[in-house]
Amino acid sequence: MMKTDIKYLFILIGLVFSACTDVVDVDLKDADPRLTIEASLNWEKGTSGSNQKIKLSTSTPYFKPNIPNMVTGALVKVINNDSAEEFIFEDQGNGEYTTSSFVPVLNNSYTLEVNYLNEKYIATEKMISVTSITDLSQSKEDGASDEDLEVNVSFKDPKDEKNFYLFKFKKVGDLLPELIDLDDKFINGNEIKITYEKEEDEETDKKEAFVPEDIVDIEFIGISNSYYNYIRTLIEQSSGVDVFNSIPVALKGNCVNTTNAKNYAFGYFRVAEVVKTSYTFK
Amino acid sequence: MKIKQLAVLLSNKDSRKKYSLLMKLSIFIYLLCVFQLMAYNGFSQDKVTINEESTPLKTIIKQIEEQTKHHFILNNEEVNVNQKFTIYATNENVTNVINRLFKDSSITYLIKENLIVLSSKDQKEYTISGTIKDAANGETIFGASVYLMDTTIGVTTNEYGFFSITAKEGSYTLVASYMGYSNVSFEISLREDQKKDIEMVEESTELDEVVVSSGLSEGVDVRTPQMSVSKVSISTIKEMPVVLGEVDIIKSIQMLPGVTNNGEGSSGFNVRGGAVDQNLVLLDEAIIYNTSHLFGFFSVFNADAIKDIKLYKGGVPARFGGRVSSVLDVRQKDGNSKNLSATGGIGLISSRLAVEGPMFNDKGSFLIAGRGSYAHLFLKASGNKNSVKFYDLNLKTNYELNKNNKLYLSGYFGRDVFNFSNLFGSTYGNASGNLRWNHIFNDKLFSNLSLIYSKYDYELSIKLAEFNWISSIKNYNIKYDFKYYVSNNFKLDFGISGLYYGFDPGQIAPTTETSSINELKLDKKKAFESALYINAEHKLTNKLTAQYGIRYSAFSRLGGQSLADYANNLPVVYNNKLGIYERGEKIGETAYKKGSTIEFFGNFEPRASLAYQLNESSSVKMGYSRAAQYIHLLSNTASVTPLDVWTPSGKFIKPQLSNQYAIGYFKDFKNRVYSLETELYYKDVTNRIDYIDGSDLIGNNTIETEVMSGTSRAYGLEFLLRKNEGKFTGWLAYTLSKSEQKVLGGAAGGPGINDGEWYNTSYDRTHDISLTGSYKLNDKWVFGSNLVLQTGRPVTYPNGQYQYEGLSIASYSSRNADRLPLYHRLDISATYTPNRKPNKKWKGEWVFGIYNIYNRKNAASISFAQNPDTGINEASRTAIFGIVPSATYNFKF
Repeated sequence: MMKTDIKYLFILIGLVFSACTDVVDVDLKDADPRLTIEASLNWEKGTSGSNQKIKLSTSTPYFKPNIPNMVTGALVKVINNDSAEEFIFEDQGNGEYTTSSFVPVLNNSYTLEVNYLNEKYIATEKMISVTSITDLSQSKEDGASDEDLEVNVSFKDPKDEKNFYLFKFKKVGDLLPELIDLDDKFINGNEIKITYEKEEDEETDKKEAFVPEDIVDIEFIGISNSYYNYIRTLIEQSSGVDVFNSIPVALKGNCVNTTNAKNYAFGYFRVAEVVKTSYTFK
Repeated sequence: MKIKQLAVLLSNKDSRKKYSLLMKLSIFIYLLCVFQLMAYNGFSQDKVTINEESTPLKTIIKQIEEQTKHHFILNNEEVNVNQKFTIYATNENVTNVINRLFKDSSITYLIKENLIVLSSKDQKEYTISGTIKDAANGETIFGASVYLMDTTIGVTTNEYGFFSITAKEGSYTLVASYMGYSNVSFEISLREDQKKDIEMVEESTELDEVVVSSGLSEGVDVRTPQMSVSKVSISTIKEMPVVLGEVDIIKSIQMLPGVTNNGEGSSGFNVRGGAVDQNLVLLDEAIIYNTSHLFGFFSVFNADAIKDIKLYKGGVPARFGGRVSSVLDVRQKDGNSKNLSATGGIGLISSRLAVEGPMFNDKGSFLIAGRGSYAHLFLKASGNKNSVKFYDLNLKTNYELNKNNKLYLSGYFGRDVFNFSNLFGSTYGNASGNLRWNHIFNDKLFSNLSLIYSKYDYELSIKLAEFNWISSIKNYNIKYDFKYYVSNNFKLDFGISGLYYGFDPGQIAPTTETSSINELKLDKKKAFESALYINAEHKLTNKLTAQYGIRYSAFSRLGGQSLADYANNLPVVYNNKLGIYERGEKIGETAYKKGSTIEFFGNFEPRASLAYQLNESSSVKMGYSRAAQYIHLLSNTASVTPLDVWTPSGKFIKPQLSNQYAIGYFKDFKNRVYSLETELYYKDVTNRIDYIDGSDLIGNNTIETEVMSGTSRAYGLEFLLRKNEGKFTGWLAYTLSKSEQKVLGGAAGGPGINDGEWYNTSYDRTHDISLTGSYKLNDKWVFGSNLVLQTGRPVTYPNGQYQYEGLSIASYSSRNADRLPLYHRLDISATYTPNRKPNKKWKGEWVFGIYNIYNRKNAASISFAQNPDTGINEASRTAIFGIVPSATYNFKF
């Protein structure tokens, strides 16, 4: 939170002293492709949670996004360690593996098994619950800018436990979602209001801010401490790293390669309760 | 004079040996010749005709040697050949002449055949001591050299301008010299202990001729063992081109070899591959924790209030301690003790004014200097709600109680204030105060007692989330330092110090009733650091001088807080399955009572250096020093930021210990117009902390779960060629160096950070070249320029990407394995001094500058992210300063 503010400071000083940012070409080394497991099992509150999807792909060179990288032919299953129930995820041939028979149970432990190219990847995670959203509102004065609209998500943090949250905001029509991580270290047991405001792009002069009729999709996800550690670093690094960010690191998730430990997978196996909603600006 | 030359020749090789050789020789002659003496005396046929009045002995000797077959033999260490004698003789026997010549002098003689052996009677030694001051404003001068002409006896003045010279009874010419000042010399007759205060006149104000000295010490100091030290005068710093015309001490020292920083917009500086927190920065002895305003854009030192700065990159004298890399010793002016005067300037970013003058009936003086920025005014005027400003205040007064007692009081207060629309505000800065008492016990023993307070605090208020964050570090320090001028060949420094630290790593307080933030107070930490040191400067022979000493430092982490206990006593553990480092499992807490000691550390820190003078103008020096550092700045970003907090050593984090070895060659040539300094160094530091992947330092009460301890090492070659005099002055500095770090898993298990391999520190610069020059065209125009070229700083770049949560995520390679592009820029400046009427007090000058004249977009950082509109991965370069013109008006009255 504070590092981000420091970043704002830096930008501010930059504005005062003619700093400039431009896009440049950089020669990068290319690492060997690595399996990426995006196994986010989300149990949306009020649904059965039986339909689940896991995505497999491989990593690509940083500046070559168009290389086909979907992974097919892998064997994917999830086991409930408490009930020993197994859920097989079917290969859809497009990098997606799905099931319609998943049974989510809060606080149960689940194991993911992926067999790919004769190597076995395993990850274990507990299903984390999430509290309800108590209020959705819009305002102008709660964000960075007094003139622009923002959406506020309110909820009550449970007092007797350590909680970690992930928010995913995506304006309908936008290409990329915005992720926000939150730890209750400083706010335990309180009414919390999370504000999402779209920033003006200084360079393009394009009107980016919310206007009435805009719809924003919101996901509110309860996450584990270890996933929080992972996603926090991932979010910080994905928004670009400058001198006031932590030195970027090679991020390791929880998908362990039991055949060849060095060939660990990118991504994470997460099992979480989610509140999904959307808000239309008035 | 052949034998005398032989004696001198002998003495040149090793003066101590020669001494005893000559002693033996004279005894030998005594024994052998006592009975022959009379006989030979009478047979001498040499006659001398000489008429000299107040003539140096050497001239008289020469004449006698020319006229007779006699040769003189003497030890010129013992017999001063410049002593003046008066002798009249016409065709007189040489024996009679010699007898008369030395009758009332301190010299005895023996004549054996045609040899005349001169030696000194048992002479008494006397001391001359005093203070050297600037004639114009009464400022004491630090580092001026004072010596007796034609002898090897001399000293440099200490921080308070004090000197003490002891020599055998006799007449001498005492010379005082200091860069940029005219030499002062006068005759002294040393027949009793005496005091002599000397005033020196600055060259430029005295003469109209063009004499500019480079401001680095006048030539190199080839005699003393002190190496790895750079002194830069404020006048040089003021002439160097700087960004936006803000004179900047911290930026200026980066033009010296071995000194760099993390690029524009990063706080602090790095010395010889050391971290920012490994520099001890002292302003009038008070520790300054943050040297930068506005995140490193400007330094906290107002040049108008500063007398001089000295940077020890290695070979740190035993009187300093507590940091393992360097010491930057900044001294404030005492204040003009002769006239009331003012200096000031109006620039684009800030204005400054300093007023100084005599007070207490000329028994003391004062200085008040202030500086404030006004960029915030422009922002406000343009309707911008953001504001950025800084200001600082320097204060100094002194009062002379009597000849032997003087009091100094100095203070500093500086602040940065940010307001970013209605998001947040931030304010931070240093404050310090120092009361000193100079006491001269006698003409050989100088002492100074200091009581020092210093504090740095950082406050952030996040208006949006309705809370405040405050952290601070403060210390109280008492120091008693002595300098004992034992003899010409032996000087001692010794002293004692005690330093109390109070750390407040952070408090969070909600600012409104409705704030969702809970109050949180991180545990305050306390510690006490004490030290005892003794250091000798010892002239072993005429050519060989040693400086050796030892410092014992002790650090107690004091109780009054609780510390977490961890399973297996491991705050950080390696998760074998996932291959990552994680926070250890907290199993309980131990409370430490107030007054108890949680942990104690003690370290002996030997320091030694040796200078061997090859000839009058060149020398070889070598040194070793060990240093301990008990406090650590927690910063896991590439550049340190003002909100980083300091933490003391204790149960989990151990003190950093460094060893530094250096060897160098120093030479003056063309009569000191040019000088050359080259040094090779190697430095290692143990217990250097680094941060585990994904470390979180903000508001963290258990920092030990985020750090691991490793080693760092740095080595390099430094080269500095200077032109010290003439219309053109300046220097070329080149550094070839390496700075890296290694952190093994140790007790935590696993391979360590970066798989236990060495990795570059963020401030490693392979090549670093800077060229600084100043050209004085005439009395009106002086031009300056800087050229800087250095290897880009190490960074970590992505080596791939993957899709996750609808985003393209960069996967990063090993720590600091890549580099930013080459950094280079050229700055120029021109100083224009308009004609002025000689009787007018007002002196003004314009300084025009262009920073980065060819508008190189040097990357401060290159960040990798997806373009939000296209989704395409992009590398974005942030360049802080393009071409920046500036104009500043400086005045003095």
